[in-house]
Amino acid sequence: MSLKSKIIFLVCFVGLGIALNFFLNSYIQALAISFMINSIMAMSLNFITGVANQFSLGSAGFVAVGAYTSAVLTKEVFNDQWYFIPLTALIGACVAAFAGYLVSLPSFKLKGDYLAIVTLGFAEIVRVIFLNWNHVGGPRGYNAIVKWPNFTMAYLFTGAAVLITLYVLYSLKISWFGRNLWALNEDEIAAEVMGTPIAKNKRTAFLISSFFGGLAGGFYAHNMGYISPGSFGFLLSVQVLIITVLGGLGSISGSIIASIILTVLPELLRSLPTKVDVRMIVFPILLILMMIVRPEGLFGKKEIWTFFKKEGGS
Amino acid sequence: MQEFLQHTLNGLSTGSIYALVALGYTMVYGILQMINFAHSEIYMLGAFAVYYVARFFGLNTPSTLNFIIGLLSAIVACGLVGFAVERFAYKPLRKTDKLNVLITAIGVSILFQFGGQIIFGADPKSFPDLIENTELFNFLEIPFNVVDLLIYGVTFASLIALTYLVNYTQRGRAMRAVSTKPDAAKLMGINNDSIISFTFVVGSVLAGIGAFLVATKYPKIDPMMGARIGMGAFVAAVFGGIGNLPGAVLGGYLLGLGECYLIGYGASTFREALSFFILILILLVKPNGLLGKTAKEKI
Repeated sequence: MSLKSKIIFLVCFVGLGIALNFFLNSYIQALAISFMINSIMAMSLNFITGVANQFSLGSAGFVAVGAYTSAVLTKEVFNDQWYFIPLTALIGACVAAFAGYLVSLPSFKLKGDYLAIVTLGFAEIVRVIFLNWNHVGGPRGYNAIVKWPNFTMAYLFTGAAVLITLYVLYSLKISWFGRNLWALNEDEIAAEVMGTPIAKNKRTAFLISSFFGGLAGGFYAHNMGYISPGSFGFLLSVQVLIITVLGGLGSISGSIIASIILTVLPELLRSLPTKVDVRMIVFPILLILMMIVRPEGLFGKKEIWTFFKKEGGS
Repeated sequence: MQEFLQHTLNGLSTGSIYALVALGYTMVYGILQMINFAHSEIYMLGAFAVYYVARFFGLNTPSTLNFIIGLLSAIVACGLVGFAVERFAYKPLRKTDKLNVLITAIGVSILFQFGGQIIFGADPKSFPDLIENTELFNFLEIPFNVVDLLIYGVTFASLIALTYLVNYTQRGRAMRAVSTKPDAAKLMGINNDSIISFTFVVGSVLAGIGAFLVATKYPKIDPMMGARIGMGAFVAAVFGGIGNLPGAVLGGYLLGLGECYLIGYGASTFREALSFFILILILLVKPNGLLGKTAKEKI
């Protein structure tokens, strides 16, 4: 991108935030923010599962760590000042990354699906810890977390987080390190023979992924204003997984498109008369059908912008 | 002392159930190297099949005949569901990446859980009384009931039957061949698809028997009952060495005992985390599980 188009993009981005504050009703605004947070979660999972081909089922655990860290920090250290939210979200992300590092230690000793089970277990352990931790509310949850003062601020900061996540993860994907991960994705033994440190690369990729999971958690907490261990169950991990798979495993920007679809779709189905959360019927059917019909998701491994290029681009 | 014995007994009975379900996980993993997340939902469907069969025929009195009908309906229903899931969800993906099968398995599992909540209703149902749970004998003032003994007996009978099936029959040899090298097995004239289907059906039948026994012991069933026991059973299988039949049973008992001591001595809220804590420990210390030694031992 040239400097000029960068400036135009920035002006549009900020202008849209200010304009939407007046033109959209609060319901659509809330949806827009939750779409952004979902897309950060999905991009973070996409990096480890799509790019590095390591199946993680513990997104909810890292989101929970980020959310609780950020929420507790703003309330107890920064006196409920909303402009500290980006900082606390960043700290939450670092704590989540550290947790990710700890999880990665036992996970990559073996080949196979152990990471899926360990991360699933990690998410469950995190949930049980918060459930038993009375200082953060235990099963009642953590209340009265400071929220963004208005939609424009929420939009600008969350949107910036989405763009930064996209930029960082995409750059990493096409970097030298990312190519190592692709090699590992294609053929682990061949990658090892070529001299790439596969265990170390997997650990690094997992750390990066958990960092962004934690970041999403911070924004989630301050968007909702209330978090409880129940919000970070297995179903959240599955929801993130479905978004990632729909967008295409390996397509970072595809996750953003898919999270628009999967944030809006359940809202359209909300009017159906069932007692059970209808998302949890539609999502798995979608998942199974997609695996059979189009396992590569909407965009496969390609990024969206490669579809608009006239030539080259793969 | 008496309290300790009581916890031990509860642990053994919980452990037997974990063991029965873990045997199913380990069978499927042994042959396909795939975690069948839907296994615990097949277990849940088994309990509901018995519930609806009993309601349809109006069986609600303890008798041998009713017990057998209940057991058979669990076996048939689970076998059919296991077959159908394999045929329609996993088989089309046999040639693709393993990750896709795993994702599908999660999809099937969630679909059954929430589909069950819509079709059966989310509230717990009371399971019919098909066997009289009388006290057989009393040891140090701890009662031994019919159902408990039945659960132990069935677990060990299943372990012996499966070990025999896998190690000493023609079909078992075919299963081991498919597990070791699917392509070579095909060249040797083995029908891989039918062996894999057969493994799924056997695993699902075990889940059905387990579900029937659990529902007889704790007569409250709901669509999330599989999710509660599933991960524990899977951890038990990994704990004992996944792919290894006696390992699954050993892992199930150890996990069941651990959970019951934890509940008995006052940390019940941490119960759900225990199995995963054990899992992480075992992966750090002995990644192949307690009994898992060589890859050749996989079914």
